[in-house]
Amino acid sequence: MNNKYQILPFRFVRFNDSEYLLTNDVGEYIFLTNDDFEKFINKDLDTSSTIFQDIASKQIATTDNVNDVVKMLATKFRTKKSILRDFTCLHMVVPTLRCNSSCIYCQVARKNIDDHEADMTKKTAKNVVKTIFQSPSPYIKIEFQGGDPSTYFEMVKFIIEEAEWQNLFKKRELGFVICTNVTLLTPGMVKYLKKHKCEISTSLDGPKELHNINRPLQDTIHTHEKFEENIRMIRKICGDNSVSALMTTSKYSLGHFKEIIDEYVRMGYNNIFLRALNPYGFAKQYKEKIAYPIEDFINNYIEGLDYIIDLNKNGTFFIEGYAALLLKRILTPFATGFVDLQSPAGVGIAGAIYDWDGNVYVADEGRMLARFNDFYFKLGNVNEDSYQSMFNGEKLHNIIKNACTECLPMCSECVYNPYCGADPVRNYSEQGDMVGHRPTSDMCKKNTAIIHHLFELLKKHDPEINRIFWSWIN
Amino acid sequence: MDTITFPITLIDKNKLLVKIDLRIYAKESVNAACYKFTNKFFVNQQISSESESVINVIFESKNEENISEETIKSFCNELIDQQVRYNTNLQFGHIRDLIVEEAFKPVNQ
Ligand code: SF4
Repeated sequence: MNNKYQILPFRFVRFNDSEYLLTNDVGEYIFLTNDDFEKFINKDLDTSSTIFQDIASKQIATTDNVNDVVKMLATKFRTKKSILRDFTCLHMVVPTLRCNSSCIYCQVARKNIDDHEADMTKKTAKNVVKTIFQSPSPYIKIEFQGGDPSTYFEMVKFIIEEAEWQNLFKKRELGFVICTNVTLLTPGMVKYLKKHKCEISTSLDGPKELHNINRPLQDTIHTHEKFEENIRMIRKICGDNSVSALMTTSKYSLGHFKEIIDEYVRMGYNNIFLRALNPYGFAKQYKEKIAYPIEDFINNYIEGLDYIIDLNKNGTFFIEGYAALLLKRILTPFATGFVDLQSPAGVGIAGAIYDWDGNVYVADEGRMLARFNDFYFKLGNVNEDSYQSMFNGEKLHNIIKNACTECLPMCSECVYNPYCGADPVRNYSEQGDMVGHRPTSDMCKKNTAIIHHLFELLKKHDPEINRIFWSWIN
Repeated sequence: MDTITFPITLIDKNKLLVKIDLRIYAKESVNAACYKFTNKFFVNQQISSESESVINVIFESKNEENISEETIKSFCNELIDQQVRYNTNLQFGHIRDLIVEEAFKPVNQ
């Protein structure tokens, strides 16, 4: 028996009573029986055996020259981390805090529709755009958030046109997104957005009763009707796939994922992103009213995902976005940037948010913390600070140093590390520091459970499920 | 609990002591295994006064609940897993460093 081999970097977990799951930094994975795992780590596997060949094909062990394998793995690792190359490309801008909704989970100190106290000034807007274009990224996406940006459409237009003007010289790949409840959009506004290639992103929390509980408009009880009417109007002007939608799970959504998914199908969507609430900005009493244990979300998510798989099996093409993102990381060598789940975390280096007063935060959640006078994640202000001091300053360096799963306690050894990400803002606000404490982290619990479930599905080797998964990531 | 008697001592209904032999497990492995249980327990580690090569780990349940046998078994398995990580990392830790160094090497070098 020839058993001379070099074990290459890998992580592992006891996946179930009889098997181990092994992964490596570039996202390759393999299941080994307990017996094979023991033989493998004790270097007792025969290198001519099929099982060793499988392990070697995943680059978890090798009989070749280690330097050559290092070069190959380094190339794959570089590809996986290539999202870092472009630096900040998502720039979220808050033209105003005014809003005509009263969403039950809103964490913004929103203003009434006629209260102009928190409207961005033209001077600030110009400085925001100037700062954005100092980013070295060849791609610039400006995403309008709020409040509801449609309540201050003049400022949205001002920023779009200012950015287009700057881009005549800067020549970046420039795109816009407006995140809105769509109810205030008029055909004229929609035509403007279409002309300026501004995508429209909205929120749909489920069927009428649920949507109206989660996201009531202030001036009518017919929120969902108004929403649906305007979606139809936008689609008529911009086309069938012109409005993407996001859902948020409130306490009232639990137990209703099937109906929520059905509503997305009914409304003509072919995807959903089943998203848990991040209630970290709430006062305790309020949190108790709308939040729920993460285990409840996990159970609902898994039921929802299984229901979506059944829909696909029955001929309806429909994607669950979070699973699709994770599957792309598990099944392909490609890089997938996702600001909320990457390592290093996307805070500041992939996305940043510019508040109405010119304050720049590394993430929207950093802006929420500022509501409670905690400015830890404020990088500066566009009216006072230079791009260099904000985006290459000690603060952002320090945040990023604490935002790599490769070196965070427990993450560094976690088998799901190559597919997961860090969230220093969430750790800070929920657990008191940016490093966080994985044994009690809800985010960790959620990701562990969901990734584990996906691996269980992959392990079934069910050709139909595999076909569905590949159709989601292609 | 009575099926595992040594090296585990029940100090109180929600508190127990596990003696770990440092000739078998590295301190790093013990620490990493303990860390994973800090969601449910207050964990205290001390070198035994009887022997330098024994570490006493005291688990105290955070919610006053009795500590189940299942938990202790999981801890023992976790210790083994952590030691495997420690041992394998000694074999390939330097290779991981080389991969990262190579991946982020400036292209003009
Ligand atoms: S957050 Fe949890 S699941 Fe994700 S890498 Fe860290 S330990 Fe693993």
